[in-house]
Amino acid sequence: MEMNGMQRVTKTAAVAMGLAIVALAAACGSSGSSGSSSGSGGSTSTVLTGAGSTLVAPLISQWEPDYAKSAGITITYGAVGSGGGIDAITNRTVDFGASDAPLSSDQATACKSCLQIPWALAATVVTYNVKGVPDKLKLTGPVLAAIFSGSITSWNDSQIASLNPGVNLPSTHITPIYRSDGSGDSFVFTSYLSAVSSDWKSKIGASTQPAFPTGQGAEKNSGVAAAVQATDGAIGYVAVSYIAADSLNEALLQNAAGNYPEPTTKGITAAADAVTTIQPDGSVPLVNPPASAADAYPMSTYSYAIIPQTSPKAKQLKAFLTYAIGPTGQAFGPPLGFPPLPSAIVAHSKTVIAKITT
Amino acid sequence: MSAQDDRNPLTVVSPRSRRRKLQGRLMELLASFAALVAIVVLLVVIFSVAKRGLPAVNADLFTQVAAPFGVEGGGIKNAIVGTLIMTAMATAMAVPIGVLLAIFDTEFAPPQVSVAIRMTLNVLAGVPTIVIGIFIFGLVVVSNGQSAFAASIALAIIILPVIARATEEVLLLVPSTLREGSMALGATRARTVVSVILPSAFGGIVTATIVGVARAAGETAPILFTSSIFANAVVTDPSQPMASMPFAIFTNSESPSHHDQQVAWAAALLLMAFVLLGSITGRLLSLRTRRQIEQMR
Amino acid sequence: MTTTNLDPSSIPLPTRRRPRIGETGLRALTAATALLLVAIMALLVYETARQAWPSIQEFGLGFITSDQWNVVTGQFGALNFIIGTLLTSVVALVIAVPMAIAIGLFLSELAPRVLRTPVGLMVELLAAIPSVVLGLWGILVMGPFLAEHVEPWLSDHLGFIPLFSGYPSSQGVLPACVVLSIMVVPIVASISRELFLSVPGELKQGAMALGATRWEMVRSVMLPYVSGGLVASTMLGFGRAVGEAIAVTQVIGGANAISRSLFPPGDTMASRIAAQYAGTATSLQRSSLAYLAVLLLIISLITNIAAQLISGRLQRRLGGEA
Repeated sequence: MEMNGMQRVTKTAAVAMGLAIVALAAACGSSGSSGSSSGSGGSTSTVLTGAGSTLVAPLISQWEPDYAKSAGITITYGAVGSGGGIDAITNRTVDFGASDAPLSSDQATACKSCLQIPWALAATVVTYNVKGVPDKLKLTGPVLAAIFSGSITSWNDSQIASLNPGVNLPSTHITPIYRSDGSGDSFVFTSYLSAVSSDWKSKIGASTQPAFPTGQGAEKNSGVAAAVQATDGAIGYVAVSYIAADSLNEALLQNAAGNYPEPTTKGITAAADAVTTIQPDGSVPLVNPPASAADAYPMSTYSYAIIPQTSPKAKQLKAFLTYAIGPTGQAFGPPLGFPPLPSAIVAHSKTVIAKITT
Repeated sequence: MSAQDDRNPLTVVSPRSRRRKLQGRLMELLASFAALVAIVVLLVVIFSVAKRGLPAVNADLFTQVAAPFGVEGGGIKNAIVGTLIMTAMATAMAVPIGVLLAIFDTEFAPPQVSVAIRMTLNVLAGVPTIVIGIFIFGLVVVSNGQSAFAASIALAIIILPVIARATEEVLLLVPSTLREGSMALGATRARTVVSVILPSAFGGIVTATIVGVARAAGETAPILFTSSIFANAVVTDPSQPMASMPFAIFTNSESPSHHDQQVAWAAALLLMAFVLLGSITGRLLSLRTRRQIEQMR
Repeated sequence: MTTTNLDPSSIPLPTRRRPRIGETGLRALTAATALLLVAIMALLVYETARQAWPSIQEFGLGFITSDQWNVVTGQFGALNFIIGTLLTSVVALVIAVPMAIAIGLFLSELAPRVLRTPVGLMVELLAAIPSVVLGLWGILVMGPFLAEHVEPWLSDHLGFIPLFSGYPSSQGVLPACVVLSIMVVPIVASISRELFLSVPGELKQGAMALGATRWEMVRSVMLPYVSGGLVASTMLGFGRAVGEAIAVTQVIGGANAISRSLFPPGDTMASRIAAQYAGTATSLQRSSLAYLAVLLLIISLITNIAAQLISGRLQRRLGGEA
């Protein structure tokens, strides 16, 4: 009887182990085969998946239906923030990434020969919500840096008041709102602050996820817009499209020439015209253009498509990118606050696009 | 209580005992007040969601996907479909495994193994859902991309302990006389389980499934990293990422657009109604199953 | 007289020498699921630790004591988030546990029988509210309410206490504490109710017979009797509060610094993972977030196992009575 019992136990254990191993293998195997379609659809796929910047998301959402109609390709875009986009394309979980911040050298290494293609021109705008304070308040870079580092804490601070004579500033406490997720707008904003304030540059620096010392974090441009709207005394930074879309106030920043240009297509184009040097990594930083550009908006930026140099969907990607930087794609820009790409940049992007292969 | 006092000959009505009685009444009132506060909070939350969500529940919600940027309007059609599919897949994975686990635990396992399994189930139930999201992200998403299937695996892991423990409870309720009678008639253990115990515990298993479904439908953390980049259209292919109701609520809750916020409330209302209905149904069913099994004794 | 072996499965079957395939099959199948459970648990721990490994190697245990979280300098530390987690969870417990025990008492002793099931059901329904819905309510309703009415009052009247100093904010630690206590109450309340119901009637009636009021009976007999179980349930509630990511990240305001006050934004370990994991700027940041997840796992493992051991010891002390 004991022999039977022991035999039974051993047999049970053996079969159980076998079943468990088979089950686990089946689970891993099936997820391996069924999930791979997002990465490799073969060159006949009609879907392009992308993820990243919330700055360029409004423009992409205009491209999606139009491109589907003209080319029959469905674009699926997840606006998860530039950081998320870089992450996703590095892991090849999407076909293209979108980021307003160019790849850092570490990210470029991790991404394994990814190309950066400027495909939109826009800006980051400072917005605020203070009861009784009208639109278009004037601020300078150093004052902005002081606000976001916590040195200036009330709206009626003399440094703000001296820039805005005639504006009745209340004593409301300032709540800086920043991006808690990986954000190209954060990169643009902190690049600007680093350029105009050596204090900021040494203490906090420029990054898609800087360590803001004070204030409140929100996710995505929509989150910052919502938080600013909901909090009296709040100040934050959002991509230009969100100002009009959510009827937000915009602050006017003093540029290097001493003027306060508005973040319109005119101001952004002036910045793009002033900075034409393309960096070795393919990026064109537009923040704080030199004083010679009198009307340049100081927090302008290009937004980049991040594409792996070799991709099974090279054909579809090249076609889509050509559409995006071409006149049809760029025509959707101005109503959203995006001026069209300068022709020199379009030419540059075209040469980079040509490098994509299967 | 005072009636008892009058009957109790040992009660002495003195100032001290009056103070004790008052103290007692006060504490009882506080306890009742605490229960009242809990109920009020529940009602406030439900009422908030209903008040803001009901006006936003219209045909658009179910027939449209999200509107493009800057355009007011849109609905959560793809999110509803996504949640239904992901919840169904998660349940299909978790219920068989959970029930078999419970059977092993109650019928076949030696006592120490049984204790170990129960402990492991409790530990798994206590793992933060965000950690499970990271786990499945590293295991499945990094090599295969996001998919509703990956999200379902994460959800299945989360509801597995729920289903296993609930099934265990109901299996243990089945009277041993049934088991012994079956064995006395010559049936093997396995035959007993399949033909005698499972049928009587069936109601409890259904309850466990309902509770598991309600739980899976409402979880957001596992979806954050497994199914957050999806097409703005109805997707039915589980190897692709899908929209989902909890994620739609999550994103819309942080949106500045008044319409988006209303969509969030409406989705929250639908989800909450579904989850609460599932919980209530599960509760009532389990009471009924308990009564049925009691009658078998 | 032959002794009868009462185990039915040990009675030799007259016609078969070996068990049927179905018997072994079912045993093996169910045993396989048990192995699957263990495999899932092991894989979970392994995968999380694997993702965290680069950060563990870089920072070691100093991660726990460092208050830096800086992508630019590459310095990451969990201290601010550990403090945030402890602060929100402890405050949530302080609010929730007394209330929940009182509710458990109400449901087991004080409520009229008619009310017990419906009220009990309603308390459990609190647990069924999805956390994202609580977070939505927190962002749009509760947070602004706290900022407009509660926090100014607290600041005016109790502002000398550091916890209530500072400017009112609709996103902050306090809304997170409220949301967490709503989640903890049903857990502790339902366990408390079970515990109170398990107190033997003789003990209760004995106290009453000696002239105790109902409250005195509760305080001197029931509470000591169930104290171990209440500790276990509090630990389970603590584990729940520590692990909540979604509702907390929606209302806490994702700040980098930690403050002594409950009003300004803060962050917890789980909430930071939810906010930053999807789009990290560097791989070290991603590993550090995984390191936070490892810490969360350790905390939840410890509290969970401790709670189980306490209640296991209790059950043995009671002689295995349910």
